[in-house]
Amino acid sequence: MTRNLLTLEAARREDLREILELAHAHARGETRSPLAGKTVCLAFFEASTRTAVSFELAARRCGADVISLSESGSAIAKGESLVDTVVTLDRLGADALVLRHPAAGAAALAARYTGAAVVNAGDGCGQHPTQALLDLYALSETAGGFDELAGRRVAVIGDVLHSRVARSVIPAFTAAGMEVALVAPATLLPWDSGAWGLPILDSVGEALLWGAGVLYVLRLQKERMTGARIPSLAEYARFYGVARRHLGDGVLVMHPGPVNRGVEISGDVVLDGHSLIPDQVAAGVHVRSAVLALATGAAHEVAA
Amino acid sequence: MSGYNRTLAELVIRRAHVLDPSTGLDGVADVRLREGRVAEIGEGLRGTRELDADGLHLFPGFVDLHAHWRTPGREDEESVESGSGAAAAGGFTGVVMMPNTYPVVDKPAIVGGLVARIEKESRVRAYVAAALHAGLRGERLTEMRLLKEAGAFCVSDDGLGTPSAGVLRNGMLYARSAGLPVILHCEDHTLATGVVHDGAYAALAGIPGSPASAEDAATATAVVLAAETGARVHITHVSTALSAALVGFFKGRSQVTADTTPHYLTLTDGLVAGLDGMYRVNPPLRPEQDRDGVTEALRDGVLDFVATDHAPHASEEKELPFEEAAPGFLGHETAFPALYTELVLDGRISLPRLVEAMSCSPGRWVGQGGALSVGGMADLALVDLSEEWMVSRETLLSRSSNSPYLGRGLTGRVVGTIVGAELVHDRIGAKFGVRA
Repeated sequence: MTRNLLTLEAARREDLREILELAHAHARGETRSPLAGKTVCLAFFEASTRTAVSFELAARRCGADVISLSESGSAIAKGESLVDTVVTLDRLGADALVLRHPAAGAAALAARYTGAAVVNAGDGCGQHPTQALLDLYALSETAGGFDELAGRRVAVIGDVLHSRVARSVIPAFTAAGMEVALVAPATLLPWDSGAWGLPILDSVGEALLWGAGVLYVLRLQKERMTGARIPSLAEYARFYGVARRHLGDGVLVMHPGPVNRGVEISGDVVLDGHSLIPDQVAAGVHVRSAVLALATGAAHEVAA
Repeated sequence: MSGYNRTLAELVIRRAHVLDPSTGLDGVADVRLREGRVAEIGEGLRGTRELDADGLHLFPGFVDLHAHWRTPGREDEESVESGSGAAAAGGFTGVVMMPNTYPVVDKPAIVGGLVARIEKESRVRAYVAAALHAGLRGERLTEMRLLKEAGAFCVSDDGLGTPSAGVLRNGMLYARSAGLPVILHCEDHTLATGVVHDGAYAALAGIPGSPASAEDAATATAVVLAAETGARVHITHVSTALSAALVGFFKGRSQVTADTTPHYLTLTDGLVAGLDGMYRVNPPLRPEQDRDGVTEALRDGVLDFVATDHAPHASEEKELPFEEAAPGFLGHETAFPALYTELVLDGRISLPRLVEAMSCSPGRWVGQGGALSVGGMADLALVDLSEEWMVSRETLLSRSSNSPYLGRGLTGRVVGTIVGAELVHDRIGAKFGVRA
């Protein structure tokens, strides 16, 4: 019994809890090689460091055989289509396929061509579900449990328009019972910014007045820093950048990485006591172990 | 000998419900076809070749102003033979072929070659739209007078549109001198940077969106220039309520006409939520309010007629992530059934208006066909309005299978298509089993 993890758009509270509890079990070392005898394929059609390493470590710690395909030096670089690569990995006996791709919907397309469990490791501006899950994990740890998240206010700040992380954390935070607001100029929001039905605020200062206890900062992609969407980095940093002056009592700062110090987040905030950024990275391996175990059906043996 | 042939060439279609809003025919009648033309319409007509069409409807053949038969260059996706077969299966007796092929139809020799292939291969009347500018690059005008001499019927910028309003204006003026109508694809590429309509579904799915203004701003430019130049301009595949209203404003102030397609009349951008590249099309599928606006504009005649934008694509161009998939749908074979099912049976427009929008009005634009009158061309569509069928790859005659209606049940189906008094598509035999 395999389960794909393609999107968190319709995430339910119970599903999130199940994954986080299993991730805790992995973190405490209560699981013994749940993926022994399973084959996990990592197919990265787009450059990635932390996500790829985190998944590989997770799969190996769980005892899986791991095959990695990346952009360079594989059929992917030779122009093989996504569908053909997926079918090939399927016939080679993959139990789980971890896919990173520059186009939204790639994971959903892959899932139509394989019986292996497909785990979306980021598709274009679409979804990045494991990022949102590890964010929930890190936040729950600090808050004293998953149930402590309900009612808290989180501001998602920055380039929502081009962010797959935003499209996963928004429904994930909402499903966890949190209140979410978006903080961005109109040029970095979808045209129909009301699609999520969330308040839209115009600066980090406004987010704090609104009562945000968590500032979730999105990365500003290099290619967006110039051009017609924002007039200057200085102006962006002034209104949408998180600085030390924003770190009032109990305010937490999160960022999916890699950070642009001095742009969306000032350098002295990244490793401050208010920052959960290192915890987010640490949570990655546990959460991805749990996701792979659930996806391949190996988790049932653990739970039993 | 010739007398014998003439008798053979005669066909009497008996007891069909004849419907032609352009001549006011609406009732059961017999129709005699002879020497390519309608010879007689009346009651109790008999002949040596008779077709019992009791229970079927007989319309003037449909005319499609917008099709991509991928010839020359991509005959693996569609050829004149297969494209015209698909058109005939959809009841179309006249089709305009768009010039965005490989190579682009921008030289007299290419037009001449295409005309020769049409004469050899086409089952229906096919008309060549040549490119408005060389290579469809939007810079230099084509040799429109030479293209016309070679057999071009009109000029078009379909596929990409014309980025420069200055080039477009000169193109309209020159086409007016050359006596060629102009079919325009209206899209501003500085705005159309996405692959779906920029709405709620684009926001949630994270697929780059193109705003409605990408079409509306270009349509506004085109209709203003059409009024100023006096050229005969046709705006194709109108997909937004505002673009339809802009066309409406310039009716009576210019020679502008416009069409929309079956997919903007029956489908909405909700389909992109499934992230299936099949549903990528240009302009993109719009929200319900645009679908409603475009449907009302067609009903009221603000939009003159329906064209399909039949755009075959090989499976490797569609089985891709949404952003990478080629835009376009098959159109010929499902046009009438989809519109009959979704608009007529739903009470949104009347059957006579649909026939006018698929036959009479585009036929008038082309100047041939679109009417069922004594002495006129015997270009006809025989339709069973009661047949329910499922669209599948097996039902399609096109070389491609990228129909957005795959798997859908539709009501109404073309059972026979007649061009110049000859049956070019014949499913009448297939009816015996179910009609017995």
